[in-house]
Amino acid sequence: MSALLTANSSDYSQAMVTTTSDGVADEAVWISQAQQSDARAFESLYRMHVDKVYGLCLRMTGNVSEAEDCTQDAFIQAWTKLAKFRGDSAFATWLHRIAVNTVLGRFRTSKREQDRIQAAARTSPAPAALGDVGELRDLAEAIDRLPAGARHVFVLHAVYGYSHKEAGDMLGIATGTSKAQLHRARRLLAQQLKQQGFEA
Amino acid sequence: MTEFDDDKLAGAARRLTTEISPDRDLWPAIAEAIRTPRRSRWTPMLAQAAAIVLLIGTSSAVTYVAVQGQQGPVTQVTPDLIFEQTSFGSRYSLGPDFQEARDELVAQLDVELARLSPQTRAEIATNLEVLHHAIFEINEALEQDPGNALLQAKLVKAYRDELSVLKRVGGLTRNVMMRNDI
Repeated sequence: MSALLTANSSDYSQAMVTTTSDGVADEAVWISQAQQSDARAFESLYRMHVDKVYGLCLRMTGNVSEAEDCTQDAFIQAWTKLAKFRGDSAFATWLHRIAVNTVLGRFRTSKREQDRIQAAARTSPAPAALGDVGELRDLAEAIDRLPAGARHVFVLHAVYGYSHKEAGDMLGIATGTSKAQLHRARRLLAQQLKQQGFEA
Repeated sequence: MTEFDDDKLAGAARRLTTEISPDRDLWPAIAEAIRTPRRSRWTPMLAQAAAIVLLIGTSSAVTYVAVQGQQGPVTQVTPDLIFEQTSFGSRYSLGPDFQEARDELVAQLDVELARLSPQTRAEIATNLEVLHHAIFEINEALEQDPGNALLQAKLVKAYRDELSVLKRVGGLTRNVMMRNDI
């Protein structure tokens, strides 16, 4: 951490990369510093977690532009709420919750906004550069085509491994609803993937 | 879809990439957004303060009706005050007349409260506690937004309500004392 603390603004990110071998300890320090309004420490947290947050946003929205906006909004929200973070859950989980709320907030904004997001998803879907190859890419694209409710549950539960209760809490739905949405998602995915000869 | 297919689907879902790098650096826009001082929660706080002030009004009215039914009409012990020197900003100073009356009433509060029934005392203590919480919340919001006229008005209202409760305590106990004297 000493290298990090003495690094000037321009080489800060580089210093961070070389001092994250003890990532958990660094994260705790950065959280503490960021809670004192240290933007550079918050940037370190951003660098550490942006891929997780962006990945979740992209899976949930199915659209690059929306995922970028959601990621930025999520980190801005995290900055404003950071003083409330008490470490009751992992910081990554806390960020995930904020990201999910951000995505849902955009969907809830208005019917017109929802239509716009879904239209954008159709016209500029998540690109192939996700790291998914072959049939996994087919699955990713099929997930993107799911209705929002089913997609959100499938992404949180099946892709990210959250329990139905956790997913339900994040999405503001009952555990039973989460299970029903998962069932619906599986059924719709099965229909889509059968047509493509999916054999995972 | 069969159970086996479900398992295959679940397995494939778990193999999907969960950490994805954005194509461009999203930090500059975030840095720009957080460069300004952390936004206060004054809007929800204002709503909270308004709700508290409403609660105070209702609670005070209930207390007033309850106590009046028990002890007869209430007399005022201090004249109405003018807030002509109240100001806001980094220091929230109250008008001298207000401050003087408030200090005097606060100093007498414990003595006056001791003369009331436990139930009435508890109701007044609760009202004052709610008021003090409201004043604290509004002051916190004003620290973030010193020029907010609505918050300033809420603060004045909260202080007015506090003074009203304090005055009522004095009025009630004086009634009690008069009754005892007879």
